[in-house]
Amino acid sequence: MLPLSLLNAAQNKPMLVELKNGETFNGHLVNCDNFMNITLREVYQTNAEGDKFWKLKECYIRGSTIKYLRVPDTLLDVVKEEQNRAREASRNARGGGAGSRGGTSTHATHISFLTLLVFYRARDAAARWARCSTRWSYSGKRSWSRHIIVDHC
Amino acid sequence: MASLQGFVDQRVLLILQDGRAIVGVMAGFDQKSNVVLSDSKERVYSVEEGVEEIPLGLYLVKGDQIVLIGELDEAADQAVDLSAIRAEPLPPIRY
Repeated sequence: MLPLSLLNAAQNKPMLVELKNGETFNGHLVNCDNFMNITLREVYQTNAEGDKFWKLKECYIRGSTIKYLRVPDTLLDVVKEEQNRAREASRNARGGGAGSRGGTSTHATHISFLTLLVFYRARDAAARWARCSTRWSYSGKRSWSRHIIVDHC
Repeated sequence: MASLQGFVDQRVLLILQDGRAIVGVMAGFDQKSNVVLSDSKERVYSVEEGVEEIPLGLYLVKGDQIVLIGELDEAADQAVDLSAIRAEPLPPIRY
């Protein structure tokens, strides 16, 4: 599991962020990016010694200044579940429940066999029709006329 | 090619640049060695009393803070009585 997918799943969740200088920020994650830059809302800031506190409505933290983030334990299961679902979806998108490459190629062979069968049936019918010595044609006024043709075969 | 893949789902010891020692199960990592630790605990060493374990839960540690990652031999680790251990804490790295 990628650290950034965990962070993305932590949106709107409470978290603790410690900076490299020891300051900590407690708040709810509003947004984050691939640099781990983050914005928090309803923040309690603590200095490195832990004896001074500030309350901030919202703050932005540059990713490179972060030492670590502490996130709710429940997120781990959420992200794992999400990944399983994504894997399942991509497997289904590739075609067939079996999902293996072998399954797909068997499927392709099956289709081309059917196509060939139809093609040969049509060709045989056409050949039979060509060999037939009698032709019916519609001459209009609800009457069919019969023609005898010479078979050159 | 050096990779952290072999540590995934193993219990590991992390040493950070500020001297902290954290043990946890590595749930994931990325190209920058950012690491996700689940069920993590900080081990605080001191000369006056035994090792104190502080539960931290799910942790995302930035790669640039990490000094060392080591696989823990769980059986050997559990055989150690942490309360009997006295040790100087690691000092932070200074530049």
